[in-house]
Amino acid sequence: MSAQLAVKADVETVSYANALLETMDNALGDNPNCIILGQGADDFKGIFGSTAGLADKYGHNRVRDMPLMEDGMTGIALGAALNGVYPILTHIRSDFVLLSANQIINLIAKYKYMFGGLYELPLMIRTVIGRSWGQGAQHSQSLQSLFAHIPGLTIVVPSSAQTVLDTYPYLIAQHKAPVITFEHRMLYNLDFEVDRGQFLNNPLTSRLVQQGSELTIVASSIMVLEARRAAKWLKEHGITFDLIDVHAPSHIDRRMIIESVRKTGKLLVLDTSWTSFGTTAEICRLIAESEPQALKAAVRSLGLAPAPCPTAKALEDLYYPNLANVVDAASALARGKAAHGIPLPPEKTMSDIYKKFRGPF
Amino acid sequence: MAVTPELYAKLFHRALLIRRVEEKIIELYPSDLIQSPVHLSIGQEAISVGVCEAMKDGDLVYGSYRSHALYLGVGGDLAEMFAELMGRIGGVSKGKAGSMHLTYPKKGFMGSSAVVATQLPHAVGSAYAAKVRKTDQVVVCVFGDGALEEGVTHESFNFAALEKLPVLFMCENNQLAVHSHLHERHAFKIENMAKLFGFPYTRIDKGWDLTEVYETCKRETDSVRAGGGPRFIEAATFRYKEHVGTNDDFHVGYRDRADFEAWVKNDPLVQDKAGLRAYLAGVDAEIEAAVAVALKSPAPGIEELLTDVM
Repeated sequence: MSAQLAVKADVETVSYANALLETMDNALGDNPNCIILGQGADDFKGIFGSTAGLADKYGHNRVRDMPLMEDGMTGIALGAALNGVYPILTHIRSDFVLLSANQIINLIAKYKYMFGGLYELPLMIRTVIGRSWGQGAQHSQSLQSLFAHIPGLTIVVPSSAQTVLDTYPYLIAQHKAPVITFEHRMLYNLDFEVDRGQFLNNPLTSRLVQQGSELTIVASSIMVLEARRAAKWLKEHGITFDLIDVHAPSHIDRRMIIESVRKTGKLLVLDTSWTSFGTTAEICRLIAESEPQALKAAVRSLGLAPAPCPTAKALEDLYYPNLANVVDAASALARGKAAHGIPLPPEKTMSDIYKKFRGPF
Repeated sequence: MAVTPELYAKLFHRALLIRRVEEKIIELYPSDLIQSPVHLSIGQEAISVGVCEAMKDGDLVYGSYRSHALYLGVGGDLAEMFAELMGRIGGVSKGKAGSMHLTYPKKGFMGSSAVVATQLPHAVGSAYAAKVRKTDQVVVCVFGDGALEEGVTHESFNFAALEKLPVLFMCENNQLAVHSHLHERHAFKIENMAKLFGFPYTRIDKGWDLTEVYETCKRETDSVRAGGGPRFIEAATFRYKEHVGTNDDFHVGYRDRADFEAWVKNDPLVQDKAGLRAYLAGVDAEIEAAVAVALKSPAPGIEELLTDVM
């Protein structure tokens, strides 16, 4: 992938956090009625760098630290949007957004439809998925499928600086609807190669990240990076695959996934959350309902162990799928047997790797 | 500000319209033309009429599921209201909202929610937007005494007070949450809750009195507009009918008919015979005409099922 991009003149390296900061800065600069509200949005940490310095630049009235009021501030976003302001809410952990669930599900998701199209609610709720260093049960959840279940919400799980840069400006300036983003904390400090010349007609849909022949991998958020790392390993052993980044669970490119599975006949789905009732289940439903005859093997899915997240590192390392799990599942599918004979990478946990490795991806 | 005879006539006429619209709903309800829960405002009309009359063009108001009075208070279209209640395409929200979600953005009525207290942060958010955009809007939030028990109310009051936002909190205290009395639900005095956040507090005891309600609301909205932050009105009022539905419910035992009878003795929509003589026939004719228009509107078609989702 990088070889192909490197020949272009406008490729540069941008961290996920800086991509977010750039989009937030431009949103405030382009629209005097855009505001950011969140606990700590104006402090020295600035939502892990994604709002750093913006309060000084645009004023604390527009980048406002909020009291501890997730429910209330979400209703405030609705009311502000109805009175000509584009609000961006920030939550440093997506778990906290459950306190906002009433406003999001009962009000924000329904305001346009329930009132017969009299209102639009352009607004964005940014949330961060935590992982590693003992985040535990209440600082680590990936709740995207819970909200993607609700009609009326746009859900985005950006996997890279590129997907942030090509999607957020579009969402903020043109998508006249409520958006919830789930940004993975472990992506924030990673560097990505970004193609500034890339233009997408529709940034709000899935992406074909790379092409291969043995199987199709559909992944979300940081699992896209895990799949890219698995691709490097497996290529040395003669296995290639199509990799599709879900990107927007509310706006999945069904045709892209169906066409890939039609080609490969094998499907592995990777998610940052639990597999039951989640994005992986939804992708499986899509194939089961649309193209079951294309499958040459039972689908596989990898996600969290079906438990709350344990804090102890020994258990946490077992809780998340790792690179070896991905390579093993992909190899078994590609070779058609569990005893596939392909060596597994020695790596036990993604979080240890990303502490040392910053990219660029 | 004194209420002129002309203004009083306007307030009375509007309150009577609300009363007679709701009595028309009671009449129609057994026919199943309205297939949706209705939370009637009968007995509480004066609050909505007074607060809406105190609003200026550009001001916004939010309400609850008991908002027939608010809709008509801002001057919402009558035929569109009946069509909405009947689930017709000609309804203000194409029949998708019904009685519990009336709205009329053309006159600043920005929505009503059937989940208690959810409209409080909406009003505060619109007021914050008014501050960011430097408009001179006042945002009015109408809610019941039950809303004061919800957590989001505390959050909303706190932020409104912190930011000194241009919002008028109007608490319609009918003493009841469904069938539960205030004294079973509140360990606090409403006045003390308002004062906790520094809101100037006014109590309207005669919630039936169109003049007192209007004058209080006018004074308070003017004060909010002048700056200095949110203000709070608690208006005593009386819900004549059951929580939801069109019936009396004094026989079931959770409240006393004598309280109702005492209230009705002061109700201008019952006692003001001259006013009734002057306006009743005209109001009823207006309602009949609106119902006739609504009945001609067709039901929404399948093309509406998936319209306006995203």
